Amino acid sequence: MSMITSFLDQVGATLLFLQKILRTMMFKKLKTHEIFEQIWKVTVDSFPTTAMAGFFVGAIMTVQFAMQVKEFGALGYLGALATSATFREVGPLLIAFMLSGKVGAFTSAELGTMKVTEQIDAVRCLGADPIQEIIVPRFVGIIVSSFFLLAAGLMMSVFGGMLLGELFAGVNYEEYLRHVPLIVSPVSILSGLVKCGTFAVVLATICTYQGYSTTGGAKGVGRAVVATAVTTMICIVVMDWMTSFIGDIILTMVRGFRP
Amino acid sequence: MITLIAETLTGVFTPPFRRKEFFQQLHFVGNKSLFIVVFCVCFAAIVTILESSFHMKSFAAIVTILESSFHMKMVIQNDSMVPGFAAVLILRELGAIVTALLLSSRVGAGYASEVGSMQITEQVDALKMLGIDPVNYLVVPRFLACVLGGMMITVVANMACIFSAMAVSQFYLGYTPGMFLTSMQRFVDFKDLIFAMIKGACFGGVIPLVACYFGFRCQQGAEGVGRATTNTVVVSSIAIIVIDFILSYTFSYLY
Repeated sequence: MSMITSFLDQVGATLLFLQKILRTMMFKKLKTHEIFEQIWKVTVDSFPTTAMAGFFVGAIMTVQFAMQVKEFGALGYLGALATSATFREVGPLLIAFMLSGKVGAFTSAELGTMKVTEQIDAVRCLGADPIQEIIVPRFVGIIVSSFFLLAAGLMMSVFGGMLLGELFAGVNYEEYLRHVPLIVSPVSILSGLVKCGTFAVVLATICTYQGYSTTGGAKGVGRAVVATAVTTMICIVVMDWMTSFIGDIILTMVRGFRP
Repeated sequence: MITLIAETLTGVFTPPFRRKEFFQQLHFVGNKSLFIVVFCVCFAAIVTILESSFHMKSFAAIVTILESSFHMKMVIQNDSMVPGFAAVLILRELGAIVTALLLSSRVGAGYASEVGSMQITEQVDALKMLGIDPVNYLVVPRFLACVLGGMMITVVANMACIFSAMAVSQFYLGYTPGMFLTSMQRFVDFKDLIFAMIKGACFGGVIPLVACYFGFRCQQGAEGVGRATTNTVVVSSIAIIVIDFILSYTFSYLY
């Protein structure tokens, strides 16, 4: 029972923290310079990791699909199927996992260190609002840059798929891409991007909250990082399910039948 | 890093064997992570089957087109392929990798912060003073526990995944469990489960090695522990994805 109550406690505290951030964003002046600095820093830091993850995710999906499609003699559609699967589901999920390790853990470690070494209290002592000065730039920066990074990772996954299609299944690039427009509709791309956006918001909220509420020295920072990584992954999976589900309902309403 | 791997592998076969430590770690890896892993994997499975139902509708269309244009001799009951297809995807790919990424964030980050704090509070040096090899004492039990635990938890996760996929396909798509199992039988081999177990063991082995490597190199202070933990999560998840790619590629020649 205590597990459930503490879980609800965490959720409530995170949502209150999000509300605080949003209120600060709306009513106080944004530090534009800081935000751009954060965006630049996060993007440059994590781009190689994300690109590599995306590349390998595309490659893995192509290898897997090639084995199954071969049975039906439909290798020409390999590219379209692999791209569609990567874009809609597997790509955003796995790349977001990677990003939660990289960006989320880094940010919560940074904020946790600031908290533990009392730098955040120092900012408050100087009469500035720590949420406005420290949290909001990071929050906005992480949302913008991780959305960009996820989209870039998806692009890289297409390249990974193309390369492995050529090497593994002997499908050349032109053939790989020929049927992509047939299956990967704008709806697929949109749903992939919506997922990326949701994951970015989840990631930013949780890592800033966990970092900001760190207590208890070096061990506390370690604990905060672990908590961030675990919580972000769980929330990403749940959000993934919810976006798929809601998207499906909306599509059904718009088209009048299940796609 | 390579030294650490070599030392660990030799440590596995040289006494003293630390049985109690091993079981403690196994409890941590297996039992305490089980809930999170099963929960997440179930959700992932639900999404997969929703998505793959979408694919298979289009895939069915493709096969029909191919059939009519090339007069292929295949007769495929298109709709019944959906669950089998999802099951293959779950067993070969999704179950193992989602489990491994979750373990890397939970277990790996935990180990890194544990070993890191031991390093900065000079407990590792104290072990050395007492004549105990820290690799043998700290890394080897964790390594073994993670290999075994990774293997078992992958199997459990795969089972849970398939069950939840079955439930969703019953309630949402209208396939009975019988249809699910029949179409699964057509696609899935016992080999798939064995390969998933091998994958789980490999992923499990990577995690403590990376975590302890960064833990031992941890620098003084709160920043050091944070950085060690972050590095662990990043490096081990990249290693997992790369290893997954290599293993998938290798296994694809064995079917």
